Amino acid sequence: MSELDYVGKSVLRKDGPDKVTGRALYTVDLHLPGTLVGRILRSPHPHARILNIDTSLAKRVNGVKAVITYQDTLGVKHGFVETPRYPADQDCLASDRVRFVGEEVAAVAAVDEYSAEEALNLIRVDYEPLPAVFDPLEAMHMDAPEIHPTHPKVPEHYRNIAGKTESEWGDIASGFSQSDYVVENRYESHLRTHGYLEPQATVASFEPEGKLNVWTSSQGPFLKRAKLAKTLGLPQSAVRIQKAYVGGAFGGKIDLFAHEYCAALLSMKSGRPVKIIASRPEIFASYRHGQPLLVEVKTGVKKDGTLVAQQYRIINNCGAYRGSGVVVIFLSWGFAMLPYRIPNLRYDGYAVYTNNPIRAPQRGHGAPQIRFAVESQLDAIAEEMGIDPIEIRLRNARQSGEELPNGDNVHNCGLSDSIREAAKHTDFIRKYGKARKKAGPAERYRKGIGIGVSSYFGGSLIYPNSSSVVVKMNDDGTATILTGAMDIGQGAETILCQIVAEEIKMPVEEIQVIAADTETTPVDIGSWISGNAYVSGNAAREAGAAVRRKLLAIASEVMEANIDDLVLEDKTAYVIGSPDVRMSYAELVAASIRTHRGDPIIGDGHWRTMRDTPTHPSLATTKGRWSENYAFDAQVAEVEVDTETGVVRLIRAVTAHDCGFPINPLLVEGQIDGQVSMALGHAFMEEVLMKEGRTLNPNWLEYHMPCIHNVAASEHIDVITESFEIDRPYRTKEVGEGYVSAILAAIANAIYDAAGVRLDSTPFTPEKILRALGKIT
Amino acid sequence: MRLPRFELKRPGSLDEAAELLREYGGTATLAAGGTDLFPRMKYRLSSPDVVVSLKRVSPAEPTTDSEGNLHIDALMKLADIVRSESVQRHAGLLVEAAHWVGSAQVRHMATLGGNLCLETRCPFFNQSHDYQFAEPCIKRGGDLCYFLPKGKKCWAICQADTAPALVCLEARVCVTDGRQERQQAVEDLFSGDPVRPIGLGATDLVKSIAIPPSSKIRGSAFMKFCPRGGLEFAVVNMAVLLDMHEDLETCARARIVVGAIAASPVRAKKAEDLLSGEKLSEARIAEAAEVTRDEIAPTPRLGYSRSYLRKCIETLCRDGLQRARQRIGRDADAFRS
Amino acid sequence: MKILIELSINGDSYELAIEPQVSLAECLRDHLGLTGTKEACGTGECGSCTVLADGKPILSCLTLAADCQDMEITTIEGLASQNVLNPIQEEFLAHGAVQCGFCTPGMVLSTSALLEETSNPTDDQITKALEGNLCRCTGYNKIVAAVHAAADRMSRGSVEDSDK
Repeated sequence: MSELDYVGKSVLRKDGPDKVTGRALYTVDLHLPGTLVGRILRSPHPHARILNIDTSLAKRVNGVKAVITYQDTLGVKHGFVETPRYPADQDCLASDRVRFVGEEVAAVAAVDEYSAEEALNLIRVDYEPLPAVFDPLEAMHMDAPEIHPTHPKVPEHYRNIAGKTESEWGDIASGFSQSDYVVENRYESHLRTHGYLEPQATVASFEPEGKLNVWTSSQGPFLKRAKLAKTLGLPQSAVRIQKAYVGGAFGGKIDLFAHEYCAALLSMKSGRPVKIIASRPEIFASYRHGQPLLVEVKTGVKKDGTLVAQQYRIINNCGAYRGSGVVVIFLSWGFAMLPYRIPNLRYDGYAVYTNNPIRAPQRGHGAPQIRFAVESQLDAIAEEMGIDPIEIRLRNARQSGEELPNGDNVHNCGLSDSIREAAKHTDFIRKYGKARKKAGPAERYRKGIGIGVSSYFGGSLIYPNSSSVVVKMNDDGTATILTGAMDIGQGAETILCQIVAEEIKMPVEEIQVIAADTETTPVDIGSWISGNAYVSGNAAREAGAAVRRKLLAIASEVMEANIDDLVLEDKTAYVIGSPDVRMSYAELVAASIRTHRGDPIIGDGHWRTMRDTPTHPSLATTKGRWSENYAFDAQVAEVEVDTETGVVRLIRAVTAHDCGFPINPLLVEGQIDGQVSMALGHAFMEEVLMKEGRTLNPNWLEYHMPCIHNVAASEHIDVITESFEIDRPYRTKEVGEGYVSAILAAIANAIYDAAGVRLDSTPFTPEKILRALGKIT
Repeated sequence: MRLPRFELKRPGSLDEAAELLREYGGTATLAAGGTDLFPRMKYRLSSPDVVVSLKRVSPAEPTTDSEGNLHIDALMKLADIVRSESVQRHAGLLVEAAHWVGSAQVRHMATLGGNLCLETRCPFFNQSHDYQFAEPCIKRGGDLCYFLPKGKKCWAICQADTAPALVCLEARVCVTDGRQERQQAVEDLFSGDPVRPIGLGATDLVKSIAIPPSSKIRGSAFMKFCPRGGLEFAVVNMAVLLDMHEDLETCARARIVVGAIAASPVRAKKAEDLLSGEKLSEARIAEAAEVTRDEIAPTPRLGYSRSYLRKCIETLCRDGLQRARQRIGRDADAFRS
Repeated sequence: MKILIELSINGDSYELAIEPQVSLAECLRDHLGLTGTKEACGTGECGSCTVLADGKPILSCLTLAADCQDMEITTIEGLASQNVLNPIQEEFLAHGAVQCGFCTPGMVLSTSALLEETSNPTDDQITKALEGNLCRCTGYNKIVAAVHAAADRMSRGSVEDSDK
């Protein structure tokens, strides 16, 4: 096997020059002639009946070209999840009820912002306010206001249950009775948001012949197309979604949003292109955020720290519609059971409707909340048992080849190595416990160290389930990749290029990418569920390999050599031993066209994870395969606590991880740094503050996303368990969202190590720290 | 988000600006740096018919008068104040405060006068009210308060960073209405009313700020507590100043001004008295910090209880006094960037 | 009522009729097609819209276009000359300081203003200069590294790649 020339290298990103020069066009930058400005009217009430909507005055405003309400829609509902058990529950525009502040009620398109604003102000909506509920535990009471009926398959006497996930193996009762030590804790997490820089934006242009052209800031065009077509009553082939650069997403731009639907429908009504850009206050106050989970976990262990039984009860405050609320309670089960062996487990997760905005995945999608809970408790257990945090984790860590209770296999698993490497690199054992033992009460600044462990899946089955890639050779010997993948900043296009480059041995610079256009590029799974590098990557590898085989075949004919004796190198072919006599790819393409009835050399490749598994796992029962790729990591945090202000600084973050084969180490590092930063925000400062369904900090001044003052020294150690071989499938596992979790837990554990206080809720604010230290009352 | 429509006036002088304010009555608004006004206008908290932009009026360089007062043009940008040798020499405390305002971009736009006259802020007020908190609160001309619904009082706070520093320095403002000028203490500029925090008439403009000469043996410090350490308004800010006797140990005069906790910067007078005339020891400083904590009643806010804010004030005060003490005699050099 | 204004942007003069409330960001993006200047919040909290006014970084979302008539405005489009990237742009790429790219134009311009004033900035100076530019992707580590590398190159006045 020849050496790797293009993968495993820190190739500079393909889109870099566009981005540093300002040439990169994002959806917000697009302008079609005659474009109208669209704006959305939102509900001021968290819960109300709509008695009447009068748009007559709005329609009369000069410059207004279209006004839409529910009456103009087909009444087709949509949702993040659309399955027989969990059918779509969101109207495109509110019909007879609004269920959260900011719910979309009407939309206008006008020649400029001012006419649109005036029209919005003139739409009269008569509401009858209804009692609302915002806290999930209150919403579960049988006397709480009913937002939606409890799911018919949930037998418990609770109100407002959007869905439930339950899972069990072993015998939980006997597990606890066999345990030497049993402890039960409750952890709370808070509301955070994605904070993508580019606002949500859509440009829609409907051609009278029936074609709808859409540019939208998203994580993948194919899911958007399916949902737009369905809700608008158009055939999928009539909806074309094209690429624009995407200015960040982090889970917040996946399924259908009202502004996308409204831009499309307004364009259909007005016959002109319509552009809607969500304002930052709208995004903060009424778009989808992450999911605050309440995690109750009861754990039984042996004296030596071996986990025997674990019982979970998860309550998700899932907002006014199902959103991804029923996904996160499934995933939380997965993130709970992945890193450690748990012989007896019982899991109950509830998604509870409340009169809050809808929830979406946010990088990690439940993992940070779960790992914070589990890893905090595990440290407390270790202390109780007199074991150090490293030992207890190594004792329970999953090993290569282990089968998970759902039938998945972890394959190569670098978890134990990650734990050991992280501990060694940070001198963990020597440092741990020092601060608590040494520091007197007079010591103002206290340092501490903590560890957390996590695991994340790479790719599962969710529409559109698979990725295809086409690679075509051009006459000049360069290649063009057609992929539906959407580069949201993670570098999708760059790594697909590297993979193809490796297969056909051609510099990355000579490969062009046509991406994310539902009309011209093949289907792609999308840049979520962490499947891009693996699913789309293997599709690209297969497409590249097909081209490689054709290049070799034609070279073999022309050069009169056995295929096995041919070498491809730097877009030339030669016979082993005679590197001086080469045929360029341009010559091979010409030869192919000349001698093979015009065959220009095109290869296609397709990939689907778990190809023998018919469908995704059951969100309700966890039965069925989930993924075939699991990445593992151990992260160590070193913090300094100011016991006078309660401010905690993350002074060092070490990530030891098994992400499979790193296609592009520089991009991997970027993912790690970015996730450590996001976890830092999660830990210390970011919180969407709400009062009765209304957002108090709908801006970056008060929603404290880390700025450059808050850089954490981020280091990483690669534990590489997979290899890349040309023409062979490989596991890249996952690097895009698995590393926001263990570090959060590590920070919590490091705070305990530093100051002796264990916080059971995020964020770890100065107020909570001082309260726990008894410095304020 | 777009600004509402308005008529723009770009006068070439302050006097001209004052005449425009007089001509348009209450329907005109002054825009200096725009970093505070324009976000409020984008949120439709303010929709003046006429905006009188001061961008064409060039600020004068700082000058020192015969009595040693440093006069700083109110239109001087905060970034220029940070860079100014003479302000540095004369009023390091102001430089340090200016350095803490907003971000580099904000400091290149915002003016000293604008920051001093910053509108009071409240999370329920400083946002768009298209569909959130739509019913006007007291500060928006209504009669309810979202923050403390039972009260009939506005709780907006002054978060200007330069304000406590200028109060601490006993600065005076020169106010003009285009026809007459008058001087008043910066401390008296603040009305204490969160709804109309700055006690100036509709046609008044702050022309310049005068800072009295610094004592030779001075130490000062500006402290700001905010979650990110930059880019945002203070949870608590504080200016402390120590003028010392020749022995370098006895405090001749202390000033402690706490900001971001009420509609105006608040002086901790009891703590000041505790320090003045006394030898500065660790214990004395700690005591002054405790007294400051006890004499100031901070307005609680999102994520920060009154109890936390009090503790924060104590810590900031102690740290600030210690820092000021370390800087005694080399105050002017302390903030060089 | 529209007013007639004259702007000088990246060395080019423009005369245009706009409404007076039009911000510089809107003017650049909507009227002149210079969409390299981004707008992520519109209220001065993120720095995406940073441009240079007489070399100083300002927020174009909070500046009236009509107030920019007596100054030279530099946008991201004005930084590279003749398709040759300047050292800041190159080092941002080389260090992986660019991910989604939406903050990049503002970040690069803030860096440019910093290096114009301070040829060899400390970490603290970089922090103060870039504190107004939010980035959600990178955690800033690689941005700081890129700024140092660009400073090194520019202060040496050399174009060879220093650390590769």
